[in-house]
Parts: sequence; structure tokens; C-alpha cells
Amino acid sequence: MKNLSELDRVIHEPARLTLVALLSSVKSADFLFLLKESQLTKGNLSVHLSRLEEAGYVEAEKTFRGKIPHTEYCLTAKGKSAFDLYRKNLGSIFNKKKA
Amino acid sequence: MNTQIDTAIKRTRAYWFVDGFTEITMGGMFIVLAGALFITRNTSQTPFLSWFLSVTGEIIVLKVLSFVLVVLALWWLKDNFTYPRTGFVRNQISVPQIFIIFRNVILFLLLPITILLIASLFITSTDNVLATMPVWFPIGLGLVWTALVVLAGEWMGLLRFRFIGVVTLLTGIAVGIWQSTLGLPNIPANAESTIFQSLLLESIDRTIYSLGLILVIFGITLLASGLATFMRYRNENPTPYSEDV
Repeated sequence: MKNLSELDRVIHEPARLTLVALLSSVKSADFLFLLKESQLTKGNLSVHLSRLEEAGYVEAEKTFRGKIPHTEYCLTAKGKSAFDLYRKNLGSIFNKKKA
Repeated sequence: MNTQIDTAIKRTRAYWFVDGFTEITMGGMFIVLAGALFITRNTSQTPFLSWFLSVTGEIIVLKVLSFVLVVLALWWLKDNFTYPRTGFVRNQISVPQIFIIFRNVILFLLLPITILLIASLFITSTDNVLATMPVWFPIGLGLVWTALVVLAGEWMGLLRFRFIGVVTLLTGIAVGIWQSTLGLPNIPANAESTIFQSLLLESIDRTIYSLGLILVIFGITLLASGLATFMRYRNENPTPYSEDV
């Protein structure tokens, strides 16, 4: 039970976990890519990205592509290590249950 | 849960191949390279060394040029078609990483061929290795490319790469078998240098022809796979993303 409580609650939420997993293998991705891949609504996606930004796991960079505003998101070093730790903890929970 | 995380990671890695443009442009490049190989075959009586150097030079120039064209075409297609529909992803590749990938690819390409060559030297003489080159080269190349394609497919979770791999392997084997049924140049021991050179030239010429055939079929397979992927992508994303949808 102790292991379960050690899981990072910011990442543990399924929508945020999907976003962190998507961002973990790229340098950055824009809002549209995350919207399409996560299949969240725009509002939901914004809320979850803000939550990840508040935790310091994600950084946003606002630029312009022509005249259109363009926001790219990337995982910070803190976010990467939190994601790695989350996966490790999750794995150890299942391994203990098997043993 | 970990499986779903892995799926999300693989989907992001495969984003470069989501629209089929990469396969279409690369397939086109392979077909052009194969065409160049067929055109530059030594049909004239040009001395071997000057012919070989000119072919190598032309192929390198063409390879670099077509690669630059592929990159520019991809850049334009993605910018105008893919990014407005399904978004933009910046990959995690820095300059030192590109060199590491390049080194690994070179090692991966050269290692099996070197092993094949060394193994052949233990079994037969050098002359026989050169004479049988039209047979072992396509089979070896088919094996190496299959391994590369299948490994890349597994890394990105793209099942269609298994199909491309199988076609490449079968092509390599079929070309090798076909070349062996045509009969191989028999290089006699203590042959005069002119006879040796003409037999060697025949062997190299047939190997280049085999390479051209593999390139054409590999290119066509990539093109077909890319077109099928593009049709599916276009059906799923007919118009650019809009706030009103």
C-alpha cells in the first residue's frame, strides 16, 4: 500500500499520464498534436497542461507560424525524472504483486 | 498501464511516418538511384578503373542531390499538409546524436557484409568470392535491410514495416537465386590479367544490376506503402483543423 501512495498524483491522472508519455519521446509538440493524440477536448487539454506547468513538469513556448499563434510544449528535466520514477514505481508495484 | 504508455510513446515516435510522405519520397529516391545504376552500367569498353570511379562519383553526387531534394519536399509537404491537420512535433535529435545514429547505421550495414566476406574466404578462394558476388550480395543486402526495416518498425510500433521487411528479404533471395540460375563467371586459376579483369567486370556488372533490381522493388514497396498510408491519413483528416469543428 505504501508503494501506491508513493505514486506521483500529478502524473497518475490518466489524461496527464497520456500527455507526459506523448511528450517523453519528443523534444516538443504543439497543442494540435496533443489534442489529436490525447482525444481530449480543448478545454480539458488546457486544464491538464496548466496543471503540468504548475508542477514544473511541462514548459510552454508561444510563437507564431506566419500570423497564426503557435504553442509548443516540452517536458522539463523535472518532468522527465518524475515520469521515469512513476514508471519505475508502477513496475515495482506489479512485480511485488506477482512475487 | 505500462503497455498503454509504451503505445503512446511509439505513436509519437512514428509521427514522422503518419502521413506516408516519408515513404513516398524515399521510395522515389530509391527508384531514381536504381535508374542511375541501370544507366551507368558498363556497356561500353571503358577501362574498368575509370568506369568504376565515374560511377561511384555520379552515384554519390546523385545520392546527395536526391537526399537534399527529399528533405526539401518533405519539409514543404509536412508544413502545408500535415501540420495544419494533426499538429507539429519537434524530434529529439541533436547534432551529436545524428553522428551516433549515422555511425551505428554504417556499422550495421558493413558488419554483416564483412562477416559474409570473411566466412566466404574460409570456404573458398578470393576468386570464387568475387565470382559468386552476384548471388551473395543481394541475399546479404536483403537480410541487412530487412533487419533495419523491421527493427525500425518495432521501435515505432509500425506493423506495415514488417511487410516491407518481408518483401525486401524475399526480393534479395529471389534475385540471388535468379543470378545463380544464370550461371556464374568461372575465374580459372592463373588466368591472364585481361581475362581475369573481364570476368571480374562481368561479376561486378551483374552485382550492380542485382542492386538496381533490389532498389527498384524496395522503392516501389515503399511508394505503395506510403500511398496507402497517405490515402488513409487523408480520409481521416480531410481538412485542416479548425476552431469551429
